[in-house]
Amino acid sequence: MLATAVVVMLLGRFAVLPSAWRRFLPLAAAAIVLTALGIELWAGAALTTFFGGAIVQDRFALFAKAAALAIAAVALASADWAAEDSPYLGLAMPLLAAFGVMVAASAADLVGLWAGLELAAAAAVVMVALRRPDLGLRLLVVGGVATSLVLIGLAFLYASTGNADLVAIRDVLASRAPTVALAVPMLLLLGGLAVRAGIAPFHVGPLPISLGASPLGAGLVIGLVTVAAATVAIKIVAAVAPLPAVFAPYAVAVAAVAMVGGGAAALAVRSPRPRMAYLAVAQLGWVAAGLSTHFRAGFAASLFLLAAFGIAATCGPALLGRAEAGETAIAGLGAVRPVRAAGLALAFLSLAGAPPLAGFFGELAVAAALAQSGNFVLLGLGLLGSVLSVAAVVGTLRVLYIQSPVDEARRPAAAALPAVTVLSTAGAVVFCALVAGYGLLGNPILGLADQGAEALGLR
Amino acid sequence: MTLLTVIGQATPSPVPAPGAGLFTSPFLLSLLIWVPAAVAVALAFIPNPRGRYDTLIKQIAFFTNLGTLFVFFIGYSQFENFLPTMQYEEKVPWLPAIGVTYHLGIDGAGLVMLMLSGLAGVAAVLASLNVRERVRAYFALLLLAQSSVNGAIASRDMFMLVLFWGASIVPIALLVIGWGGPRRISAAWRLVGYWGFGTAALAVGALALYTAAGGTSFDMDHLFKATISPRVQLGISMAMIVAAATRLPLFPLHGWAREVLAESPPGVVVIVATAASRLGAFLILRTIIGAEPVAAHLLSPLLAALAVLTVGYAGLAALRTLDIRHAGAYLAMVPGGITVMGMAAVSPLGIAGSVLGLFAGGLAAALIAGACVTLSDRAQTRSMALLGGLAPRMPNLGWLLVIAALALLGVPILATFAVNVMTFFGAFKTQPLGAFALAASLAVCAVALAVILGRVLFGAPNADAPGVSDVSLGETWYLGLLAGALLWVGLFPGGPKIPGTEVPLFDPGLINQMSAGISDIASPYVLPTPAAPATQ
Repeated sequence: MLATAVVVMLLGRFAVLPSAWRRFLPLAAAAIVLTALGIELWAGAALTTFFGGAIVQDRFALFAKAAALAIAAVALASADWAAEDSPYLGLAMPLLAAFGVMVAASAADLVGLWAGLELAAAAAVVMVALRRPDLGLRLLVVGGVATSLVLIGLAFLYASTGNADLVAIRDVLASRAPTVALAVPMLLLLGGLAVRAGIAPFHVGPLPISLGASPLGAGLVIGLVTVAAATVAIKIVAAVAPLPAVFAPYAVAVAAVAMVGGGAAALAVRSPRPRMAYLAVAQLGWVAAGLSTHFRAGFAASLFLLAAFGIAATCGPALLGRAEAGETAIAGLGAVRPVRAAGLALAFLSLAGAPPLAGFFGELAVAAALAQSGNFVLLGLGLLGSVLSVAAVVGTLRVLYIQSPVDEARRPAAAALPAVTVLSTAGAVVFCALVAGYGLLGNPILGLADQGAEALGLR
Repeated sequence: MTLLTVIGQATPSPVPAPGAGLFTSPFLLSLLIWVPAAVAVALAFIPNPRGRYDTLIKQIAFFTNLGTLFVFFIGYSQFENFLPTMQYEEKVPWLPAIGVTYHLGIDGAGLVMLMLSGLAGVAAVLASLNVRERVRAYFALLLLAQSSVNGAIASRDMFMLVLFWGASIVPIALLVIGWGGPRRISAAWRLVGYWGFGTAALAVGALALYTAAGGTSFDMDHLFKATISPRVQLGISMAMIVAAATRLPLFPLHGWAREVLAESPPGVVVIVATAASRLGAFLILRTIIGAEPVAAHLLSPLLAALAVLTVGYAGLAALRTLDIRHAGAYLAMVPGGITVMGMAAVSPLGIAGSVLGLFAGGLAAALIAGACVTLSDRAQTRSMALLGGLAPRMPNLGWLLVIAALALLGVPILATFAVNVMTFFGAFKTQPLGAFALAASLAVCAVALAVILGRVLFGAPNADAPGVSDVSLGETWYLGLLAGALLWVGLFPGGPKIPGTEVPLFDPGLINQMSAGISDIASPYVLPTPAAPATQ
């Protein structure tokens, strides 16, 4: 992944590729990522460690890495490359972000987690800055705040436990009682990750920035970077799981605000990209709700949902294309770009948790875990958020399928139709198949997520 | 009691229907669910430049519905009405980690609901032949809605029930928003709000049941056999009643009904007023009456009160409104109230009446709402101040409207008569006050119907009213199909027999088929027979 990203960047820098070949670059990159996914699924089943135990290959790593690779491959294939600012960086940065997720997923210690998160975040900054340097700078500042919080939290955690290794931290905490000295760094750490993930009420930083980025850039900010932050959060929370009192209240509060707030905000806005971003915030709240249960089934459900979230949140903006002219940009898209519109509709519906799509299965798995833990208040709030989200999506579907398309002669540049290529159509079809078929493949996926949660030491 | 004996009891011994055993399919229920969904997806991607293939798309939708109805009738004729267990079961582990199973199955009540859904599907397509805009999307959404309703009926797993229950919201909301009347946006939001709230309540109830039963399986066979404390049963049942009340609808959660049934095109009215909304009563039957007898006994007064309030409110509101579509929408709430009263009776006869009420009530609700929508279309106005003396000018629609009114009131020869007889005979024993109040509310509805029919059909014509025309062929067919089904079951509740024998001619009779499983559901509510005095 890393090598491919570097090669693509070098190709762009030195312009050694004939222009006729450039259009095959996304196809080649997607093929390489798919090959990596195949290798991961084939060889990744063997449990092993690398770099003296700093990188581990366990079931959690297998699940998260496979998800990141699948997300990257589909996002690269389904993107509208005519709407991207740089084909080379546009190809390289998603690969780097996916690599960041993979590093975080395999990290055995705090340093590896931080490195993976920053790698993914840096890729998003580059993508945003390509179109809007001012927003890139803003994302850098917001990211700086998040990084400081995360670093302070990690440092305190290290100081409290005397270990940077996640397994060792869990072993140390297993014999301790919850203290304020541990609860405060967890607040800082999870707060920093929440800012990085853009989960409500910490979405005020990254979310507006994503609205000015290119389609794939927005997908990185809303999707892959959030997946990286959530992956780090899952590993940290699993490490401190013996003391749920030091993290569960934060997770409950954030989940409640995000699920209801995200759904309400999605209903309040009309433009498709902000609506998608708020829907993503609401669904991320469900992921946090799963973590608040602090037992294996809840973590497995969160992981199961996170993969569904990642694919819809990353590929959704990519499928949306430019769409800078608000609802007008997608009016009647169902008639003029049926495959792309179907992908877009499924992305919206999945993020809203509408049945029978990927997001629904993930959210209901989390809901089952919440019910088992007896947290019916949070469950009720989550369902309320989902109802609001579905109501919001009905509005977007109306525009997609029932409104008439804009007259081509009067179509503004900001509402330009996405270009149709064989690759983008195939990407949209694969995306639809994944989102619609997630439930059918639910058994192996949820089974692997469950093994992943078990690998984190949860019982 | 002779009449009750005839209509309330199944054929005592299994009588094989002609053709039994000729066709069996292990995927019969899956076919009914997934074929419409697959055709909907295919329709959505058929190229249709400038509406060139509109007619073909309508034909595909029609024959898909006819085909699934044919498959259903095969299942209907093969149905073993003497078995108390679920039939045509399909059971495949789906998400074992959280205990989800792809489990389908139907008993007599499910069979009745599937028959309603099948007829509604054909009637909805016939009612939609006038659709001219975005034909491809319209019929794709209609088929998706039907698929999700069939799925909710056949589900034997709570997870699947929530899935299919919720899946019907988006297609129906889009149908309303895309092809509805002037207040379609408001109607669609109300639908999403109320049905979404109901889905959330159902999910909470299902998850509470799942947790109370050990958190290992969503399978209804497991959940309904678990020993659950009465307090938890009560909480779960309240959530289920809320979910059901948003669907059926029951007062005070009926806020969507007027707008949706008045603003939707006739095809959508048929789908919504029949199986999609009867799912509410079906849910009460499955999850409260059939599964939690303690809660059912405790909550039966509440159910009776909701039934009375619904019917009374519907009658008064219909009496007060001057909009014919609103009147039809209000009156369409009446059969749901009667069905729920049958369940509130918590007696075998009342429960049997409510199961038949799922079918007959759904048809009657669709017939009255559909007739009112069609009448307003044909008369070019919704205002009853302008409508008058239409009977001579639209005789076919006049007749259909009269049949709809009679069906609502439950007059003999219509299927709703049997429903009302069983419901009232069942309810007067256990809920005398509720049954009396329901009868009084029904009298209000009768007055409302008399006033409306008197004014619209037989009143003095209004010179200022726009021109009217009688129903088209498609509209006659769809309304006729609904009315015909009501008449058929009303005339032959036990099915037509070869004269002089008990051998069914070709239809085993809906009363016979629906009774499968009812004895199982009603067994906790059978009153102990008083001991006979000892003879000296």
